[in-house]
Amino acid sequence: MATQTEQQTGSDEQNLGPLQQWTQGVLSDQEKQQRLYRALFYVAAIFFLVTTLFPFYWLLVLALTPNSAILGGDWSLPVIGLEFPHPQGFNVVAFVEVFQQVPFHLYVFNSFVLAVTTTIIVIAVASLAGYVFGRLDFPGRGPLLLGILVVSYFPPAAFLIPLFDAFLGNAVVLPFVGIELFEPPRLVNTPGAMIMPFSALFLPLSIFILMTFYSQIPDGLEDAARVEGTTRLGALVRVIMPLSAPGVATAAVLTFIAVYNEYFFSEIMALENVPQNWSPLVGGILSYQDQYTTDFNLMAAASIVGVLPMLILVIVAQEKIVSGLTAGALKE
Amino acid sequence: MAQLTLEHVTKQYEDVTAVDDMNLDIRDGEFVCLVGPSGCGKSTTMETIAGLTKPTEGTIRIGDRDVTKLPPKDRGVAMVFQNIALFPHMDVYDNISFGLRLRDFDTDEIDRRVNRATEIVQLEGMLDRMPDEMSGGQRQRVAIARAIVRNPDVFLMDEPLANLDAKLRVHMRTELQRLHKELDTTIIYVTHDQAEAMTMSDRIAVINAGELQQIDPPLVCYNQPANLFVAGFIGSPSMNFVEGELTDSGVRTSSFHVDCDVSAIDGVSVGDPITVGVRPEDVHLADRGQDVTAPTQPIPVDTDVLEPMGNEVFVYLKLESGSDRTMAETEIDGDKEVVAGPQGQLLMSLEPDTDIEEDQQVEVVLDRTSIHLFDSQTGNALVHGVEHLGNARVGDEATHAGAESDSYT
Repeated sequence: MATQTEQQTGSDEQNLGPLQQWTQGVLSDQEKQQRLYRALFYVAAIFFLVTTLFPFYWLLVLALTPNSAILGGDWSLPVIGLEFPHPQGFNVVAFVEVFQQVPFHLYVFNSFVLAVTTTIIVIAVASLAGYVFGRLDFPGRGPLLLGILVVSYFPPAAFLIPLFDAFLGNAVVLPFVGIELFEPPRLVNTPGAMIMPFSALFLPLSIFILMTFYSQIPDGLEDAARVEGTTRLGALVRVIMPLSAPGVATAAVLTFIAVYNEYFFSEIMALENVPQNWSPLVGGILSYQDQYTTDFNLMAAASIVGVLPMLILVIVAQEKIVSGLTAGALKE
Repeated sequence: MAQLTLEHVTKQYEDVTAVDDMNLDIRDGEFVCLVGPSGCGKSTTMETIAGLTKPTEGTIRIGDRDVTKLPPKDRGVAMVFQNIALFPHMDVYDNISFGLRLRDFDTDEIDRRVNRATEIVQLEGMLDRMPDEMSGGQRQRVAIARAIVRNPDVFLMDEPLANLDAKLRVHMRTELQRLHKELDTTIIYVTHDQAEAMTMSDRIAVINAGELQQIDPPLVCYNQPANLFVAGFIGSPSMNFVEGELTDSGVRTSSFHVDCDVSAIDGVSVGDPITVGVRPEDVHLADRGQDVTAPTQPIPVDTDVLEPMGNEVFVYLKLESGSDRTMAETEIDGDKEVVAGPQGQLLMSLEPDTDIEEDQQVEVVLDRTSIHLFDSQTGNALVHGVEHLGNARVGDEATHAGAESDSYT
C-alpha cells in the first residue's frame, strides 16, 4: 500500500481516484492525519459508550414505563412509527413501589454487608500473603504461588456441592475411606456460609495484585521503618500499604464489586429467598417475579437502585483504581 | 550513648561468606568508618548491627546488653540510609516524629524534640513539606533529624552521602563532623570512599572480602598500613608497589635497590619476595632531593604521562629494565588482591611549577623514611620506613599485627 502510494506520487495527482487522493492526503498531511485519528477515536469511544450505556438506558425505560405498557410490547415511536425503546409514561412511583412490595433495602443491606466483610478479610489476608510472596525469599515460594494460581483456575461451581453439604451441618467424610473427619456447624442461612467461600475465591486475584505492588516498595523504606521502631507487620501497615494505596484500592474494589453482584453461591446458601436468610441483592430483584406475574418495571427500578451504591463507590475511588490498574514503579 | 562490641560475627549466605569472624570494639562517642571496596561486607556488618540481618554466628553488644537476637526497634540504634529512605507519604514532621509516635511520646515532648532536631540540622520552617518537594541535601538532613530525634545509643550511617552531588557531599561531610561534635554519640559510618573515611573518623576499620584488615586512626592507617590491601586502599592516588626480593644488603627490585639492615626484619629471610611500597609524595626528583633527609640512590626513569591537578602534578614514571617480567609474575600471582597500579610503573607527585615534560629521562629518589616493605606472600607489612632499620623498628607490633587476628583492645 505504501509503496503503491509512493509510486503514485510521481504521476500526475489529477489521475488519482478520490480514495487514493484521500489516502495520499492522510499520509502526507499532518493535519489530515490528526483528523483521521480523532475520527477513529470517536467511533471507538461511541461504540463502547453505546454498548455499555444502552442497557442502562433500557433499564430506565423499563422502570418508567408502567408494567401493562411493557407487557403490551408496542415500542414504536409516536410520530415516526419506528420501533425504538422509549419510556411510555413517567411512572416514577415504581422506585417507591420497589420498597413497598418487598423489603428491597434489606437485600441491598445483605449484599453490602457481605461485600464489606469479604473485602476486609480478603485485603487483610492478601496483604500478609502479598508481603510474604512479594518481599521475602523462602524455600517453596514458587510452588506455593503456583498452588494459589491453580486454586484460582477452579470454576467456583466445583466447590458448590461439597461446600453446601458441609454448610448444612453434615459431617465431613473422607471419600472412599469413609472416615468421619469433623462435623461442621450448620452455616446455611448465615453470612458465614457466603463470606467464607467468597473470601477463598477472591483471594488469589488480590494476592497477585498486592504481591506486585508490595514488591515494588524499596527495601530501604521497610528497613527504615523497622529501625525506627515498627515490627515487620507494623512496617507493612504503616509504610508499605499506604504507599501501595492504588493497589490496595484496586484489589478492594474488585473484590467488593464481585461480591456485591454475586448471586450463584449466596442464593443457594440462603435456603429461601428472604432477606432474613441473607439473600443477596440479585435475589431481591428476582423476588418481584412470582409464579404468575412478573413486575418488569419494578425489577428494572430495583436494578437501578442496586447499582447506585456501586456507582458512588466507583466515582469516589475512580482515580485510585485507574492508577492502580495502570501503575508503574513507585519512586522513592 | 554506648560502646558497641562485635565478637566473632560471621554472616553466611548459602555459599557466600559476607562477613567473616568480625571483631570490633567501638568506644562510647567514637566516630568509626567502615571502609572497603564494593561488596566487601561493610554494609552487611552494618545491617547485623542494626538488626536487619541476623548474624550466622557471633555476638553483638550495645552497652552491656547482648542485642544479637533483638529486633531492630529494641536495639537503641538509628540509621541513615544510602537511598535516604524518607517515607514519601508523610511530611517532614511526620517523618521525623515517626519513631517517637510509635513509642507513644506525648505531643509536647514530640514537638520539643522535633524542633530541637530540626534546629541541629538547620531545617526550621520546613516541617510541613513533603519529601518530594525537597532537594537531595534537605532530604538527607531530614533523614539525619529522624535518626537523632530519638537520642539513639548508636548512630548508623550507610553511605549517607553517596547519592549527593560532589559539592554537597563535601559540605555535608563537615556538617556531619559538626553534628558528631555536638551530639557526642557513637557513630558507625559505612563508606567506600576513603577520602570520607580519612576526613571524618576517629578510627577507620578497613574491610576486605568480609575480613577486618586494620582498625586504627586515619593517619596510622595511612602511615603504617597493616598490609598491602590497606596500603593500596587508603590514600589517593594509591601507593606504588614494586616487587623485589630480600638480599644481604637490602631489597633488590628489577630496577632499583634499597639498602638496609635486613637482619632487623623479622619473619623473612634472604631470598624471600618482598613488595616495596612508596607513596607518590615520597618520590622526589633526584636534583631536587636536597630537601629529602634520607634519599635512596638515584633511580633512572622515563616520564610517561603527566596529570596536572592544579595544586600538584602527578607524573607516571616507567621503571627501566625487567618491567615485563614483573608484570607477568603478578598476573600469575593473581589470587592476591592488591589495589595498586600496574607493576613497572611509579607515580610521583610534584609541585605544580616543576619543570618536567612527557617522555623525559630523569632520576628520582625515594624517601627512605617512608618506604614500606611488605611480605609478598602474606601481604603483611614488615617495616614502615627503612631509614631506622638496624637501630629500631618503626611502629610496634600492637598497631599493625597480622590482619586476620587484629582486634583493637
